[in-house]
Amino acid sequence: MRITSILFTAAIISGLAHAEKLAVEKDELKLGFIKLTDCAPIVIAKEKGFFDDEGLSVEVIAQSNWKVLLDNVITGNIDGAHMLSGQPIAATIGIGTKAEVVTPFTMDMNGNGVTVSNSVWEQMQENDPDLDSDKPTHPISSASLKPIVDDMLAEGKKLQLGMVFPVSTHNYQLRYWLAASEIHPGFYSESDVAGRTDAEVELSVTPPPQMPATLEAGTISGYCVGEPWNQQAIAKGIGVPVTTSYDIWKNNPEKVFGVTRKFADENPLTLLALTKALIRAGKWLDETDSSGKLTNREEACRILSQPNYVGADYDIIKNSMTGTFMFQKTDVRDMPDFNVFFKYDCTYPWYSDGVWFLTQMRRWGQISEAKPASWYAEIAKKVYLPGVYMKAAKMLVEEGELTAAELPKTEDGYKPATKDFIDGNEYDGKKPIEYLNSFKIGIKDEGALSGK
Amino acid sequence: MVPQIQFPTLTADLIMKYKILKAIDISGLNFLSPVVRLIAQEDPRKQLHEIGRFIIVPIVAFAAFLFLWSALAPKHRTKAGEVPTPGVVWDASKGVWLFHKRETAKADAYLMNSAERRKTLQQATTRLARLDALEAEANRQISDIKAASKEKFDAYVAPSKTAYDAKRAEFRTAKINRENSLKEKAALLATQGTDARIAYLARIRENAVTTEQEKEQLKLLKTTYTEAQTKTFPEVKKAQQAITKLAEERQFLSKYSEMLGAGSRESKTTESESLLAESKNKFLTATDGDFYRLGNTVVKSEDLLATTETSHYAKPWTLPKQIVRSLLCVFTGFLVASAIAIPIGILCGLSPTFMAAMTPFIALFKPVSPLVWLPIIMIIVGGFMPEPENHWLVKALDHVPILKNYKVDPMFLSSALTVALCSLWATLVNTALGVASIEKDHLNVAKVLRLGFTARLFKIVIPTALPLIFAGLRISLAVGWMVLVAAEILSTSQGIGKFVNDMYTNGSSESFAQMFVVVFIVGIIGMFLDRIMIIFQRLVSFDTAGSAI
Repeated sequence: MRITSILFTAAIISGLAHAEKLAVEKDELKLGFIKLTDCAPIVIAKEKGFFDDEGLSVEVIAQSNWKVLLDNVITGNIDGAHMLSGQPIAATIGIGTKAEVVTPFTMDMNGNGVTVSNSVWEQMQENDPDLDSDKPTHPISSASLKPIVDDMLAEGKKLQLGMVFPVSTHNYQLRYWLAASEIHPGFYSESDVAGRTDAEVELSVTPPPQMPATLEAGTISGYCVGEPWNQQAIAKGIGVPVTTSYDIWKNNPEKVFGVTRKFADENPLTLLALTKALIRAGKWLDETDSSGKLTNREEACRILSQPNYVGADYDIIKNSMTGTFMFQKTDVRDMPDFNVFFKYDCTYPWYSDGVWFLTQMRRWGQISEAKPASWYAEIAKKVYLPGVYMKAAKMLVEEGELTAAELPKTEDGYKPATKDFIDGNEYDGKKPIEYLNSFKIGIKDEGALSGK
Repeated sequence: MVPQIQFPTLTADLIMKYKILKAIDISGLNFLSPVVRLIAQEDPRKQLHEIGRFIIVPIVAFAAFLFLWSALAPKHRTKAGEVPTPGVVWDASKGVWLFHKRETAKADAYLMNSAERRKTLQQATTRLARLDALEAEANRQISDIKAASKEKFDAYVAPSKTAYDAKRAEFRTAKINRENSLKEKAALLATQGTDARIAYLARIRENAVTTEQEKEQLKLLKTTYTEAQTKTFPEVKKAQQAITKLAEERQFLSKYSEMLGAGSRESKTTESESLLAESKNKFLTATDGDFYRLGNTVVKSEDLLATTETSHYAKPWTLPKQIVRSLLCVFTGFLVASAIAIPIGILCGLSPTFMAAMTPFIALFKPVSPLVWLPIIMIIVGGFMPEPENHWLVKALDHVPILKNYKVDPMFLSSALTVALCSLWATLVNTALGVASIEKDHLNVAKVLRLGFTARLFKIVIPTALPLIFAGLRISLAVGWMVLVAAEILSTSQGIGKFVNDMYTNGSSESFAQMFVVVFIVGIIGMFLDRIMIIFQRLVSFDTAGSAI
């Protein structure tokens, strides 16, 4: 009796704290995800009861690949999903499937890796003997890959690499990494939707969970993908992770939570409630103790390793989720920021992130015509909904779930300019045209557009 | 005088015996009949012989299969681990079942009333406290084992590492030396003639070959070294598994206790009730203020209470539920297939002209793979249902008692239609054959009796063709069952296929064995479906053909 009465009182007290519960338009929701560790905010919000606290009953359903996931969101089979940052933008401007998709919440930063096959790794080690050690110096650039690409080209072959989706962060990161050492990954055009014009290596699409198997089968010689599929490769001896997205661009935006504009318009309070629950999940994931150790990550790994979520072995998920990353069996490094779910105002939907993806889409020709700088800002405003985020975050501050200090401080939704890239190139979200023109490899636009 | 024939007197026992034998015969379980006859003491020698052949031999064969499987499986190592042995598969099936049991327990906990909840919560709390001790013990054990195996591991890896490092250093110096000497010789070439230059080319070639050979040697050593690194000692593995098991139980119990406590429907309803009472009170007693806002809050609280009262735990799909959905899907497809195939088959049988018209379609579409049909059907069905949740068919099916629990959606319909398209051919062809082979005499009698078309159809054509129709249906169902799993994998429609696909993509140490579990489940269900069709087929036919297995 005592326990239940305590629980009842607790429930009532917490109920009073949440006195202004949102009257959600739709209380039974289906959310989709891909089996990657960065689906964690959705899974945690469900398992830790953050959705329940908002009066939402959420079913979380694994999707087989990004295309199916996006189509399911657009057709309404699922209400919202864990999405690649590029997906809402691309859908809105009509690359691939055309539909308006919006995002009020960035799920995480970093978290991808580039893995190459054992034989490519051996050749890279031959080209750069410094790599042939138990703990080579990082970051590893693609310079040692360049001779391999050239040799293959001389034989009339192209190195095959895998990424997960044409508008995925992985595609842009892999291209960035390759282009930084002057390996041309190829342009997209109206007639070449595979993006292989002028290419020195060929990039193709493979769903994340199938990456290790495809690498093992020899169809591709390397890939860029999220976790646990890099750790899986090294654990099973299929390939070697050479670099991570953190090294390519420090604290890069990764996944977002996407819904259709229709859903957002018809269910504003539901979207607000979802955003609140997800922010709490992000915060829970990044909780640290006084020594800076991530306190909740092990529990998160346990939850993610359930077969209906990511389903990979706990030890493999743990490798990258608890602040370390295994590059070789002998080389386990501390990478406390490998997955960021809340720190550095990560969950806020920054316009500047949207603009970065747009510049990469233009750089590689997915956006086929030159656009003025104002267009970049306009699209970012259409897709990213910082208004919803701030409203949700402020409600959480009132409820005592967040502190006022944890609210992102920004006036216009743009991050300051940064040089945290592997090639040290500077990015300023307000100057997309100048940024495009600063790359050695990539489409360039007339400088006159930057003023418009 | 008529000779007297001695009939055995029909005792109750004998009647019973014949009834059982008849039932066994109809259900096609003929291997059981010697057992019945033996119990009835009919020619024991012969029956024992039959039992030996039809019961003992299959059991021995299966045992031999299990033995071979256990012996051979560990020999093949894959990147996903060793091929699981029967024991591992059995454990994996228990794991699948445990996951189902735990999720069901959570769903039940959500709905329990307070007395039950209190009792269960008490148990869960006790178990959680017990787990603390168990986990501490397991952690202590594993650190001991790890410390012990660390030395073992280092000793195990060291020789291959030293060998690799030594050879690598040796070859590197050798390579540099060779290159240097070649470069020295190259400096002299400027003054030398053609012969010397040709000879020099041969030296370069020789150097390349040597380098290649050294690389090969190194590669072998490297492989041994990397393989040594992946070595996990069985005791470490076992200890880790024990910890995983405990940690998973803790994970479950903490969520379970939450569902039994503050997260239960009852607690949430109480919470909503108090919210409603509070807001109502405010609305009724307020002397001034924004009555519009206050009134709205009351209405919203009422809505919230209503939805809370009928809410359920959003339970993930587990294998047993997926199996039922697959069965529903295959029967939906089967019904559609039968509804199309039987009438067309009858028409084909009755009219050779119609048959001639249909032949190209049958020949053309019969060999098409389900994997080709599915994407096409998915797109077409998707076109009919732009907003699946508001589509009339989905809404209508939501009110059908059993179906509503299994969420009929476009993916389900696409899979069912693919099953139908692939399985209807066997029924169609068999029906046509059955109808076409009706004896002319029967039809002549019908003519004499001046039976109308309908009477002729239902009195003569269908009854005669029935055994063959059922033979066709039996093949159709078997084909449909095979097609379904493939369709579900591709469409990610919830069902057995989705389970296999999820396990494949999970790639955990358990998933390989869990896919084997599915092999047996699919096999056993397929066997039962076949049995059911055999019984139907036997019931409608007089001969015993076509029921051997």
